[in-house]
Amino acid sequence: MAPKPKIRELLDESACTHNKTKKAACNAPTPGATTGGCAFEGAQISLFPYADAAHLVHGPITCLGASWETRATRTSYPGRDLTQMGFTTGISTNDVVFGGEQKLLDSIAYIVEHYAPEAVFVYATCVTALIGDDLDAVCKAAKQKYGIPVVPVHAPGFVGSKNLGSRLGGEAALAHLVGTKEPEVSTPFDINLIGEYNVTGDMWQYTPLLEELGIRVLSTLSGDGRVASIRTAHRARLNVIVCAKSLISLTRKMEEKYGIPSISLSFYGKRDTSNGLRAIAEALGDADLVARTNALIEREEARLEEKLRPYRELFKGKKAVLNTGGNKTWSIASALQDLGIEVVATAVKKATESDREKAREYLGENGVLMMDPGSEQAKIIDATGAHLLLAGGRSLYTAIKKRISFIDVNQEKKKSYGGYDGLLNLAEDLKNALENPVFKTVAKRAPWEK
Amino acid sequence: MGEVIRKPIKPLQVNPIKLSQPMGATLAFLGIDKCMPLMHGGQGCASFTKVFMTRHFSEPIAIQTTAVTDVTAILDGGDYSIVEAIKNITKKASPSLIGLHTTGLPETKGDDIRGVAAKIDFPLVHVNTPDYEGGLESGWALAVKAIIEQLVEASEELDGNKLVLLPHVSLQPIEVEKLKEFIAGFGFEVLALPDLSTSLDGYLGEKQGSLSGGGISVEQIRALADAGLVLSVGDSMLGAAKALLEKNPAMRHHHFAHLSGLEATDALVERLLAETGFQKPPASVIRWRKRLQDAMLDSHFSLGQTRFAVAAEPDQLAGVCASLREAGGRVRLAIATVDSPQLVKIPAEKVLVGDLEDAENLQDDYDLIVGNFHAEALAHRFHKGLVVRGFPNWEQIGNQLKNDVLYEGGAYFLFEAANVAEAMRAATHHGRD
Repeated sequence: MAPKPKIRELLDESACTHNKTKKAACNAPTPGATTGGCAFEGAQISLFPYADAAHLVHGPITCLGASWETRATRTSYPGRDLTQMGFTTGISTNDVVFGGEQKLLDSIAYIVEHYAPEAVFVYATCVTALIGDDLDAVCKAAKQKYGIPVVPVHAPGFVGSKNLGSRLGGEAALAHLVGTKEPEVSTPFDINLIGEYNVTGDMWQYTPLLEELGIRVLSTLSGDGRVASIRTAHRARLNVIVCAKSLISLTRKMEEKYGIPSISLSFYGKRDTSNGLRAIAEALGDADLVARTNALIEREEARLEEKLRPYRELFKGKKAVLNTGGNKTWSIASALQDLGIEVVATAVKKATESDREKAREYLGENGVLMMDPGSEQAKIIDATGAHLLLAGGRSLYTAIKKRISFIDVNQEKKKSYGGYDGLLNLAEDLKNALENPVFKTVAKRAPWEK
Repeated sequence: MGEVIRKPIKPLQVNPIKLSQPMGATLAFLGIDKCMPLMHGGQGCASFTKVFMTRHFSEPIAIQTTAVTDVTAILDGGDYSIVEAIKNITKKASPSLIGLHTTGLPETKGDDIRGVAAKIDFPLVHVNTPDYEGGLESGWALAVKAIIEQLVEASEELDGNKLVLLPHVSLQPIEVEKLKEFIAGFGFEVLALPDLSTSLDGYLGEKQGSLSGGGISVEQIRALADAGLVLSVGDSMLGAAKALLEKNPAMRHHHFAHLSGLEATDALVERLLAETGFQKPPASVIRWRKRLQDAMLDSHFSLGQTRFAVAAEPDQLAGVCASLREAGGRVRLAIATVDSPQLVKIPAEKVLVGDLEDAENLQDDYDLIVGNFHAEALAHRFHKGLVVRGFPNWEQIGNQLKNDVLYEGGAYFLFEAANVAEAMRAATHHGRD
């Protein structure tokens, strides 16, 4: 049985470029001034997309009851999509007092009998971690009994942020799955996609292009993923981290253990998609592949430009303010710029050091990096004459007051903005927002206010 | 009344409809003006709740967390994290009240929140709502009871015109508003506790602020004990009503298990007529009763040939089942999130405390399911009709304006259910062609 991951070690990730400057743990939450999810949610995000595995949450009802069926991570798995099912031990007072191990074991048995999953992931939560249920022992016993991987995931919410939880999820996969099976065939162009969760089918915007180039996605963590594939991930030639700094520990360890190099990239917008494809080809180190990739990029960019032409005129001279968090602070900015929209400001309050660096890179010297977007964005809209506000729902009123168009970027999307074709979806949504009279109509004064 | 199964037969929940006590408590505090719900637990509990409610109501949701970590979980008895949280909240905003409610984590380690609260010099209501007990409905009810116990000032006065309405958690904002207006039609000044009808009803306001907006004010809550009448809706609210009566035993109290459908609304009108001495209700009430009668007849043919499954919080379950049944709907299966005294009164062939896997296993028994949006996958898989009700509904917008109560809402609800049943039958027919 693999040892539990050491949380201090994960918080002190040497591969983080900002680590030199930071001595304290990443993201220690402040009581009364904290937003954002917990470690459990992070683990859920990183592992739930395995649709052929059951995800059993060992804890009281809040953890799963409030969170199942929240993320539109699409899968091509032909069996029942277990990602969109909720399994929880839903522990009660009795379990808190007497321990929940037996209930957990019975629950795993029930799941194996009724749903025959390829694996069971068992998630610790605050309460079950606190009462000291021995997840490792239960999982080990169940694994022996049922002959499938039963993976303990030690990411109870109170150990830290979503980001840390994603790392812990990655650690669980590394400790219990990666390297436990050999692939049937290997190719020189086998890659793993790490941190791509295929939300709204983002991944499928570019995987056909990889396929066309002869690059094989050996496994993913975990978009459209399969348990059997992640078990063979140690045989890949390259790890590709997609927009997810949280899993950098995983790829570093895979490099140390299996000698797999890694690159980090984004597939949002034209430039990033092209750069990403090129980076993969170059990292795989095959001159012919690089040449073919460049040809494909040329073809795809030309095709995209053709389709974007009708939008170009409409977007000309348009300015946008972006108020979001994480990698979206720069990845959406980049996509907007690809559409010919000037991004005058982006919020970096909820972004890491390296996200901030990237945002600065994309926005240039004159772009504003907002540290306090709530109070800054209205002033910036006035000062720059911005036409568009892309933000979370709370900012809607700012847009109404300023009579400019609004796009909710934080709402769970149903449409993909990834890859080349995703940019077309974004363009269409922006066009609809800019042409929608609602922001001006709604802002009209009531008859009795005149 | 049919068979009632209270004890789950399996070790786990699969596709749960149950939600947690702290989430119910949060919602209750959101029905108070300028309140900051403060959830005592790991940061994820509050984060999940915020996202959950934001998506259901399409509104910004005020909530903060004490952000208990693995270290504070061991070293802190709540003193540090709660005091620190309040300090940080009040640095940025001026809430009229802080609604401190617990989760499983601090309850497991045994934080004495009453003791901590006693040391805090800020308007605060505290309530124990561990998420390994009860559910959404009881969390809401416990919070309302705590609000009454800790805020309402005892009184010996009585204002015959003043009426306190205690709604259960599943009543959507518009339903609370309709209840208030309906009762106000009999000449009462109605105060709802909590009052989501003015806070989460989806109105456009300057919602940049981090506090709840609208809802009953703390001053109004303090002065509730001189109301001549207390009306509680939903059996979960009996404890809160009892707590209020203790503040002034002279208050008169009427309880309604639910206010859905003709018979339940008739019972309310009868009470209100008796209390006021009116001969007749307002003209619009009379008109709506006739519309509901007509709606029942218009829909009975469709409903009478439809077998229903309903999955909901117990108080809502009681209302939905009664409303369907009195128009002829055959409620084969009623699934409750948790146990409740309501269950024995529900007019269904089988009532059980369970989840959507149970609904799936019994899918041969019904044609149409009424439940939260999680029932969508099931309805789709087995070609069942679906009427989305309850928390959460992330697939549809306008939840805050869905009205199923009284004569008026009852009519809308029956039409919707019958139309869904017909559309379902039409689709099935086409499927067979």
